[in-house]
Amino acid sequence: MATTSFTAPKLSSPTFQTLCRNLPLSLPIPKTLSSFSFHLSPFLSRFHLHHHHPTPRFHPRRLFAVRAESENGAEPLRHYDFDLFTIGAGSGGVRASRFAANFGASVAVCELPFSTISSETTGGVGGTCVLRGCVPKKLMVYASKYSHEFDESNGFGWKYDTEPKHDWSTLMANKNAELQRLTGIYKNILNKAGVTLIEGRGKIVDPHTVDVDGKLYTARHILISVGGRPFIPDIPGSEYAIDSDAALDLPSKPEKVAIVGGGYIALEFAGIFNGLTSEVHVFIRQKKVLRGFDEEIRDFVGEQMALRGIQFHTEESPQAIVKSADGSLSLKTNKGTTEGFSHIMFATGRRPNTKNLGLESVGVKINKNGAIEVDEYSRTTVPSIWAVGDVTDRINLTPVALMEGAALAKTLFQNEPTKPDYRAVPSAVFSQPPIGQVGLTEEQAIKEYGDIDVYTANFRPLKATLSGLPDRIFMKLIVCAKTNKVIGLHMCGEDSAEIAQGFAVAVKAGLTKVDFDATVGIHPTSAEEFVTMRTPTRKIRQSSESQVYHSFSVLCIDTCSLICLIFSNLITENHWS
Amino acid sequence: MARKMLVDEEMNQTNQEEAYYDFDLFVIGAGSGGVRAARFSANYGAKVGICELPFHPISSEVIGGVGGTCVIRGCVPKKILVYGAAFGSELEDARNYGWELNEKLDFNWKKLLHKKTDEIIRLNGIYKRLLSNAGVKLFEGEGKIVGPNEVEVTQLDGTKLSYSAKHILIATGSRAHRPPIPGQGLGITSDEALSLEDLPKHAVVFGGGYIAVEFASIWRGLGANVDLFFRKELPLRGFDDEMRAVVARNLEGRGINLHPQTNLTELIKTDNGIKVTTDHGEELIADVVLFATGRLPNSKRLNLEAVGVELDNTGAVKVDEYSRTSIPSIWAVGDVTNRMNLTPVALMEGTCFAKTVFGKEPSKPDYSHVPCAVFSIPPLSVVGLSEEQAIEQANGDVLVFTSTFNPMKNTVSGRQEKTVMKLVVDAETDKVLGASMCGPDAPEIMQGIAVALKCGATKAQFDSTVGIHPSAAEEFVTMRSVSRRITCSGKPKTNL
Repeated sequence: MATTSFTAPKLSSPTFQTLCRNLPLSLPIPKTLSSFSFHLSPFLSRFHLHHHHPTPRFHPRRLFAVRAESENGAEPLRHYDFDLFTIGAGSGGVRASRFAANFGASVAVCELPFSTISSETTGGVGGTCVLRGCVPKKLMVYASKYSHEFDESNGFGWKYDTEPKHDWSTLMANKNAELQRLTGIYKNILNKAGVTLIEGRGKIVDPHTVDVDGKLYTARHILISVGGRPFIPDIPGSEYAIDSDAALDLPSKPEKVAIVGGGYIALEFAGIFNGLTSEVHVFIRQKKVLRGFDEEIRDFVGEQMALRGIQFHTEESPQAIVKSADGSLSLKTNKGTTEGFSHIMFATGRRPNTKNLGLESVGVKINKNGAIEVDEYSRTTVPSIWAVGDVTDRINLTPVALMEGAALAKTLFQNEPTKPDYRAVPSAVFSQPPIGQVGLTEEQAIKEYGDIDVYTANFRPLKATLSGLPDRIFMKLIVCAKTNKVIGLHMCGEDSAEIAQGFAVAVKAGLTKVDFDATVGIHPTSAEEFVTMRTPTRKIRQSSESQVYHSFSVLCIDTCSLICLIFSNLITENHWS
Repeated sequence: MARKMLVDEEMNQTNQEEAYYDFDLFVIGAGSGGVRAARFSANYGAKVGICELPFHPISSEVIGGVGGTCVIRGCVPKKILVYGAAFGSELEDARNYGWELNEKLDFNWKKLLHKKTDEIIRLNGIYKRLLSNAGVKLFEGEGKIVGPNEVEVTQLDGTKLSYSAKHILIATGSRAHRPPIPGQGLGITSDEALSLEDLPKHAVVFGGGYIAVEFASIWRGLGANVDLFFRKELPLRGFDDEMRAVVARNLEGRGINLHPQTNLTELIKTDNGIKVTTDHGEELIADVVLFATGRLPNSKRLNLEAVGVELDNTGAVKVDEYSRTSIPSIWAVGDVTNRMNLTPVALMEGTCFAKTVFGKEPSKPDYSHVPCAVFSIPPLSVVGLSEEQAIEQANGDVLVFTSTFNPMKNTVSGRQEKTVMKLVVDAETDKVLGASMCGPDAPEIMQGIAVALKCGATKAQFDSTVGIHPSAAEEFVTMRSVSRRITCSGKPKTNL
């Protein structure tokens, strides 16, 4: 290792370590020594590891020396309280901090006090995903899915003397107990990794200093991972609206709820409230839900959700909320007013939490949406300051923040500059039915590759043939005509999110349609349909003017798999009727 | 078209060996493999006939039905019952999510049974239509091979039809068998188990294979007391040992009484039910005893010995890699060949047969990385090698990654049941050799993983895939630390 050139035996002597730590930082650093400082930092870090209970090492008098910066950009040999100070202990921040600590860095992370509702002064270890996002959302999805399962179970011989009723407070109590447990687990994870957790609001003072509620901490690197928060547009009466934070922690069941927005959060909550027997109205500006998703998926999911009782109001933009004397809310849109809502939820986007972080004053550049601008390694415009996760508004998903955090730790503390890889990132929408996808939409694929083959299946799953419910499954493969590579995979229907993950490995690995076809199915599953799609539904060729054809009859008689037919009623219901 | 081609040939007399046949292909047995081979051959232009026994949910020498085991007495009805049974625990789990249900939930077995039968009748009809749409001629009756190019079909009324065919395909599948113990007639097989008039109150299942654990799960899920007896220490011989233990633990956790290393020795009819005796001297009374002790190929009444088609000692038709029997014009696919007895494998064999014989493209079925699932509750699904197989075949070290976790749903429902996932990796090449999972949705999750394994995906490629959050499946791409490393390089290698 590099440090051996610096006579390792001597270096490891405790005296020298102490010397290093206590070097007067204002001393002019000899050029030769400063060139070694890069090798030295991992060494210093390892030394810190020997402290089993790292505590914030705060030496105010050293702060005056902090401004020393070497001209050639190399790190000056100087002491910092921490190698890394992370602001925000959500998915990205915790991941980066833990991994950095595992690589030998001394790390602190600050986070706001726990609350289920986020604000300028409240947050909690675990962040959006654990406290106000993925986890509570999924728990609510589990809870709400039961009403559909009760209906399904009727078809399988189960009977209920009285219609199952839902007790809202039981769910909220059990959900919140789980969130408390998880925030505890996250604290524990940090603690075990040797990361110092500081409760309070972090603010950047200079490129190497963070202020947490009046206390100053210095760090070689600062990581901003403060995430995002729901955004409600400023319309008259917007104070009566709730956002997703509040929607996850309502004290009682909303009897009639309006959800404004057509993105994944809107759809997920529509499914949740609908399943928990609220009357649900969704107001979207566009003609269809889920802008940016594959067009066929957009059509399919909207239709399936409507069949489950959700009322969609398309091309309606909210203009005002009016509270009437009886306490109920009316939503006024460009098309008219809908009355009688107990709750109006806005799922109209999220904004990065970049206010009051001191970013402008240290020169960290933010874009017009308030997101921090970073390079491919997550470095901001200030070399010692980095940012990962939703605050950078790249792909706002927990696993992406995890990837960014892990990559950053490698870049900074393992001498292994690593760029997060944003290709073929799979994702899911936990609507009911859910969506799973990876790769390109058909529209993107045409734009990028021109000539593509599209394989689709739209069938009634085995479960639905018994339950008698109108549930269907839609699946789609998009294949590059030239290379035979599968460049997009989309599914809407039961288990989509779970099914998409394994296929994401295949798509990420650049596998071809031939590879899919060579794989034997698992019978009887829905997923097997993805390996038994034999005939393209259409071939799109840019060269000859988007020659599109439908081969439904061919599909049925000649080549559609038997399995597909078994579960799909393809012949009777899909194509012939 | 096929006929025309043959007629032309006949008229041209260009090839002396191209004698005239009634059919290019005659298939005996219209199950998964037979239907697939028949349809695909017809699509290649062949003139195809197929025969199948009359339909009934319970099979015998003279009863069968278009669709075969999978559709009528296997995968499909089984999965329907698993769906029905899984609701039992689902509904229990609903309570902690705030749902108020009656203390005792009402389940109507007859309703499920009738709907299941309706569904398989519907599918039977779809299969018949598939065949006729493909131009395949269907005969109802028992098929028998009379010569290398000659079949005889005995119809329901006893009349016999005789046809010549250039190629004959045997796709007669298999049937459950009963162990030779006193009182075996009191027990049932999976055929009857799928069509019981009444839901058993106390069921005894004998066998440790997938059929045994599936029925144990079904009946337990619907509220019956279930005792499961098997010969080995763990159920599911042939699967990864660690996963077998997980399945055993889950079955027990769901309230099934496991009796490992125990054989049934005798069944006696009593007033209270069937008295079951074991080789450990235990006795218990059950209203249903299921033998899930294996299946045997349906090769007895086909007259195979007479025409020279060789069978192995289990009665399976011997075939080469292209599914050809010892008689060049006679072929066999599916369970009757006892290679890998799975519907999708029979489909693959049927497809390859059609390609080889009528598509001018000799194709061998590829048995590597065939994924499969056991629909126990919760299910098990695997692809590739078990840890034991990997160690056996390894040249270098084997890395094992495991993840045992509480599924998110259980955090609120309070159900005490862990999901277990496992990847077995070749340390030298980094290739993922095997993947297994036991937990909710395992079969659905495993299909995509199977594509990756089939194509030799490496652990690095798994790791580079971003997770789908929050899902169970994401665990497969986030297994960072190796659970154990098994050194195989020191293993002495011999040629013996």
